[in-house]
Amino acid sequence: MVRLLAPGGSLEMACTAIDEGADVVYVGPLGFSRRPYESEMSDADIKAAIDYAQARGRELLVVLNTHPSPFEMRRFLAKAETYAAFGAVGFVVTDVGALAAMRRLLPNKTMHVSIGAGISNARDTDFYRSLGADTIILPYRWGVPEIAAARAASDVALEVFLFETVQTGKICPGKCIMSSYLRFREWLPMEDQTCFHGSANRGAKECYRVCQATWQFGTVEAAPIQLTLRRDARLMLEQLPRMVAEGVTCFKLSGRERPVPMIRDLVRFYRKAIDRVLAGADNLDDYAEELAELRARWVREKRKRVDTLMDRASGYAS
Amino acid sequence: MFELSTDVSNLAELKEGDFSAYDAIYLGDFSCPEYPNNFSSHAEQLEAGLALVKSRGQKAYLRLYAVPSNHDLPWVGDLLDAALTLPFDGFEVHNLGLLRVLQDKGSKVPVHFGVFGNLYTHETAKVLKGYGVTRVYPNPELSLKEIAYIAENTPIEVLLPVHGKIPLVISETCFIMEHTEEGQDGAAVRCTHACTDDHWLTRGRADGSSADWSLKDTGRMTLSGKDLCMVEHANTLAAQDFTAFYVHNKGEAKGYAAAVGRIYRAALESAFGSQAAPDCAPWLVELNGLAREGLCNGYYFEAAGQRYFGRS
Repeated sequence: MVRLLAPGGSLEMACTAIDEGADVVYVGPLGFSRRPYESEMSDADIKAAIDYAQARGRELLVVLNTHPSPFEMRRFLAKAETYAAFGAVGFVVTDVGALAAMRRLLPNKTMHVSIGAGISNARDTDFYRSLGADTIILPYRWGVPEIAAARAASDVALEVFLFETVQTGKICPGKCIMSSYLRFREWLPMEDQTCFHGSANRGAKECYRVCQATWQFGTVEAAPIQLTLRRDARLMLEQLPRMVAEGVTCFKLSGRERPVPMIRDLVRFYRKAIDRVLAGADNLDDYAEELAELRARWVREKRKRVDTLMDRASGYAS
Repeated sequence: MFELSTDVSNLAELKEGDFSAYDAIYLGDFSCPEYPNNFSSHAEQLEAGLALVKSRGQKAYLRLYAVPSNHDLPWVGDLLDAALTLPFDGFEVHNLGLLRVLQDKGSKVPVHFGVFGNLYTHETAKVLKGYGVTRVYPNPELSLKEIAYIAENTPIEVLLPVHGKIPLVISETCFIMEHTEEGQDGAAVRCTHACTDDHWLTRGRADGSSADWSLKDTGRMTLSGKDLCMVEHANTLAAQDFTAFYVHNKGEAKGYAAAVGRIYRAALESAFGSQAAPDCAPWLVELNGLAREGLCNGYYFEAAGQRYFGRS
């Protein structure tokens, strides 16, 4: 079975994604899913989203992908139990200890390993499988050969982001604390948190995407060059048939912080594309024009988002 | 009483440097296998490096490449085969897959879990214990209170960085190489070891005044611009029962490790000798002089990493 995972940055977005054909929607609780509060959901909204998905034969994953403080581990696990009782089908997790504890606590729920786990080779997937992970999301740099190697290393299900692979720049999910070194802020009252966190990795808001800002780079002696630390990833399409053939079972669309109409159109597009691949198509060239338009919208929205985050960071920098 | 350690990337640096202030040496640069004669990627260098460290009466730990891809696993496996024939006191591992590889090889060598392994919780430490991990380098984002809690609630020793740049980012590709002229043209990029020159990332203020943010870059790793400094807090650390301390040396000029090590040796001996806290002012002046972008306390006191607690 090949499934389309779509973001639910709000109850409206979650319901829209389901209406457009997502098999699974993922949502993040306030303070526990590495996003600003406007892209996370209250427990009441998570319950409503689960009910909406279940009524239509779909599923919902809860993203608990922060590295919790040691002092909040009990609360973290209690949250997981709450969402499991609501009917969440599983969880997206980063922290090794949290994953092991949740596996013991919730043996019947599926566990997805987040991109923030920072996997770099097939033996990493093997490690997570040994802890009880069911699905692993693969790194942005991985193409078909790496997918085949992971497939051979264990029977864990493989999930990929709907982005083309990127081989240059600082692409380091789970291996970066630049943002919190430079700046972080305290919790907002609505986030209902008390522990020190300091970074998006730990649930505090937010990662300022400093890697996508303009920097000067060079040696002390030479004139610096202007650059960003990474380039934007492009939405993927033509790779889908080969990836399905190699055993990828989940395609993940990111974008909890994007506008609902953007997610609506992307889910509709990828639902159509995946269904066509499953029907046997090995060429999706006639979707090229539609893809180009979506790519342009994606980049425009992403740039707006980065500008907003950097403005916030600059505000804290004085 | 306590152990003070630092890192050395290759045999030439080990021979030329003064590391007499240290009890133990982490051999190798875990960030880049291309670094010249890196212990972490040159099995033929291990025996000589280990012998030199042992002849100085110090412990020797071997650092393994932190982000091995599938293509790297075979040569890392060969390096481990060579290392397992030698009396290393430990292997530093950042990658979970390599924990599986070591387990497959039946290694009994103590494992130190490295900074990019992402140790944030006592629950993770408990999982790692099953893989032979005896020491952990917590993620730098943790506060001292959290690190103390982990130390108290797991049977694993904690390594506490006390001075030097903070590792912030590691990537599988070299940022310096990508931005050489050759790389910008899109031609095949060849490593010329340009990382041996200091590279910095800076970001100016919006009004065009001097740079506000500064980070050091060694190619595959980005480090804090400021140097973590805990010399004022040596007595506090000793009182919290931490016993393994570390000075980050990668990317620093010759002489840095010697100067910093001498100061921390004195500070920690004083702290563990239950003496009154010494006057740190002369040490701070010297340490500040070694730090291009100044000093910070990292995240130990629940602030953003580049702040120095209690000062503007």
